[in-house]
Amino acid sequence: MTKRTMQEATFLILTALAAGSQHGYGIVADVARISGGRVRLRAGTLYSALDRLRLDGLVRVDREEVVEGRLRRYYQLTAEGATQLATEAARFQANAATALARLGLAEGMAT
Amino acid sequence: MTGTAGLERGYRRWLRWYPRTFRREHEAEVLGVLLAGAREGQRRPDPVECLDLLRGALSMRLRPRVARAERAAVTAVRLMYLGAVVELAAAVTILATIGSVRAGMFQRNPGYPQAQWHAVVAGRLAPTAVAAGIAVAFWLWMAWANGRGHRWARILFALFFGVNAFGLGNGLAAGSAVYARADLAVGTVLCLVHLAAMALLFDQDIRRVAGHRSSAG
Repeated sequence: MTKRTMQEATFLILTALAAGSQHGYGIVADVARISGGRVRLRAGTLYSALDRLRLDGLVRVDREEVVEGRLRRYYQLTAEGATQLATEAARFQANAATALARLGLAEGMAT
Repeated sequence: MTGTAGLERGYRRWLRWYPRTFRREHEAEVLGVLLAGAREGQRRPDPVECLDLLRGALSMRLRPRVARAERAAVTAVRLMYLGAVVELAAAVTILATIGSVRAGMFQRNPGYPQAQWHAVVAGRLAPTAVAAGIAVAFWLWMAWANGRGHRWARILFALFFGVNAFGLGNGLAAGSAVYARADLAVGTVLCLVHLAAMALLFDQDIRRVAGHRSSAG
């Protein structure tokens, strides 16, 4: 049975958390940075994804703090989350390498 | 300040669509993210933000709260949605074909009394369509409740299987000649879907019992 591929928003959220724990708005800003401004996560999408990722055991709450009277909850990647992100990244890399090789652009990628 | 207060009130209104348990744990946090992302001078939520919050709330209310790793439970919930689709197809087919059934019947038997046809519609076809409609709602309810891991829902689903299987068996025992072939096919498919969903739902319990037996033996 083939495994379901990860959605781009999920992949980017996990990538944002790969460097360390972050709070909600930090993830939104980091995802925008990682995607070169192409993906702008909105709160509904972000918390829907975080809820699903917590349920699947890929992300967990690291800590909470109150800044200027507002609650900030920091999320971090679990070991399972890191494994799944690595698997997905390797899959993307392999697909991209194949595509570039077939387009005759593989050398350009190496430089 | 008044603008920010108005914006916050607007966001809070949209956050009411979320389940209470989620709001209790996350409302302040989500609000913080929404306000941090707001434009300078923004006074009310953008329509795109509202749609996104609504979509997130609906997804949280409707989607199964079962981890993807628990494949058996996820498949069981999907089978319940399939059951709802089959029931709905049956109800729609009954309603959509009443006219052609009537025409066919009067063509084969021109002397067939109108009153008797009305009695067939009122006594058999209409109750069957209504029952199918109720069954659709029940399948959806079971998918939602089992997707949330409610234990009572599993028991109710098992009882529902008993009723379904009894209905099918009873219909067959009453005389397969009066049991329309399409009706029998739909009933059999639903029973099989039900049985498969139940086996998946009780998969862990079955394995636990089997494990106990093998370790005891």
